[in-house]
Amino acid sequence: MRRTAAIVGVGYSGFRSISPDLSYKEMMYEAAAKAYEDAGVDPQRDIESFVSVAEDFNEGTSIFDEYVPDQIGGALKPVHTIPGDGIHGLIAAYMQLLTGAMDIVMVEAHSKASNALTLSDVMAYAMEPIYNRPLGANPHFIAGMEMNRYLHSTGTTEEQCAQVVVKNRGNGFLNPSAAHGARVDLEMVLSSETVFYPLKKLEISSHADGAVVMVLASGEVAEELTSLPIWIRGVGWCNETPSLETRDWEGATYARKSAEMAYGMAGIRHPWQEIDFAEIDDTYAYKELQHMEALNLCRKGEAGHLVQEGATELDGAFPVNPSGGTLGVGHLLDASGLGRALEVVLQLRGEAGERQLGEVETGLAFGWRGVPTTSGAAVVLSV
Amino acid sequence: MSLIERLGTFGDAKVWYDNIPLESEYTVGIAGERFLRAIKDRGVILGTVCPACDLTYVPPSMYCERCFTQLDEWVELPAKGTVYTFTIVTRSLDGQALDEPEILAFVKLPGAHGGLVHRLTTAKPEDVEIGMEVEVVFKPQKEREGSILDIKGFKPT
Ligand SMILES: [Zn+2]
Repeated sequence: MRRTAAIVGVGYSGFRSISPDLSYKEMMYEAAAKAYEDAGVDPQRDIESFVSVAEDFNEGTSIFDEYVPDQIGGALKPVHTIPGDGIHGLIAAYMQLLTGAMDIVMVEAHSKASNALTLSDVMAYAMEPIYNRPLGANPHFIAGMEMNRYLHSTGTTEEQCAQVVVKNRGNGFLNPSAAHGARVDLEMVLSSETVFYPLKKLEISSHADGAVVMVLASGEVAEELTSLPIWIRGVGWCNETPSLETRDWEGATYARKSAEMAYGMAGIRHPWQEIDFAEIDDTYAYKELQHMEALNLCRKGEAGHLVQEGATELDGAFPVNPSGGTLGVGHLLDASGLGRALEVVLQLRGEAGERQLGEVETGLAFGWRGVPTTSGAAVVLSV
Repeated sequence: MSLIERLGTFGDAKVWYDNIPLESEYTVGIAGERFLRAIKDRGVILGTVCPACDLTYVPPSMYCERCFTQLDEWVELPAKGTVYTFTIVTRSLDGQALDEPEILAFVKLPGAHGGLVHRLTTAKPEDVEIGMEVEVVFKPQKEREGSILDIKGFKPT
């Protein structure tokens, strides 16, 4: 039988559009200190392994993993850094618990996007260098092309995509740690400039700074540490293909496969019935709808109707992105997915303040690494 | 326990500026060499075929990304195709408004699983639609250098 594991502590710093007062190390320190306090652990004494998620180009420092241990209490301890989405890091930490070699591990991810003066160049440098990068196009073009194909193949409308922005920025308005919460109406979104047809300016998430830390523990240890462990019931991740020329432009296959793996592990057969809410990548507004369908929360072409009918609002049948998502909270670079998982933990614990959902027992978090990737990761959490 | 003291005024918030120049060469490889040379010398588009998966890769690859088989069957594809999806780009790499919006499309070549992402050159944005038939526009042969930019883009047929 597989060992069980739970999230026993969370901490975060931010999220803010800029953070001139704190270095990235201080943000990590703050998030870690809060998470250790929350879990009631001492990093030097209790935490057996540390996992951080970071990408050198986002950090502006090569071999960035070298700069990780000190500010999270990991000096002289097992520490490793992976590139990926924050949920990939959460899964890496979880797997260490599953081995039986560790009982308490932590995962960290952060964004100091405001320090990266040429983030669009970093994104461009991620493009395939021989066939795609010579075009010299702003990489958001990939989202424009994908949205166009998604609308074409599903009949989803531009209004339905815009409604995602209205909902998520509105949810962010109720979240004190959201950097981009706002009351916007459909007309404002639809009349914002079409920058990468059919993608509009307000449908592209803006960056935010912050750090997220979680402490994970194996079953029995988790129950000793807290009266409210948040159990990891299933995880899944998938990379489709880096090639723009052979990928699925319609259905986010990486999300579908990630979910199939996570649901399989969690024993979930009817996600809409068995899961109460989800925090899923909405880096671009249409992505929330495409990801909902790929995550089998509804059928193809149905997500747009659900958001329009209000089914994914805070008081709807299946709330999606109660935190405000990436559109409302802000895009946290490598920490985006961990930020989604953080909201699931806060909701399940009943600590989500004004945006608290009633009676929730199981939530899904899904992260995507953004353009030009087809890399996703999912986690199902339960009280 | 967390941070005990914080900065209180903007003037105290210091930054250190730096930048690092990065330059690379990217080996195009065996398949890339053959693909780009065929464009440069003969103005034709080549693909590789995976018989097991019945997929034709454009740009060609030496292996099948689905079944991991090494591919050695090469085919010449028609230099035309169908717009699978497109977008109209209004921003430069650094986010500045472009003087002239640029249309980028993913064009599937007939018989290929893949295709090419490139510009739609002579089309007006309002005339472009998914499913539209287009053909490759090559640069004049003497201007070709053995890169994907030896293709100017696609134009409606
Ligand atoms: Zn194959």
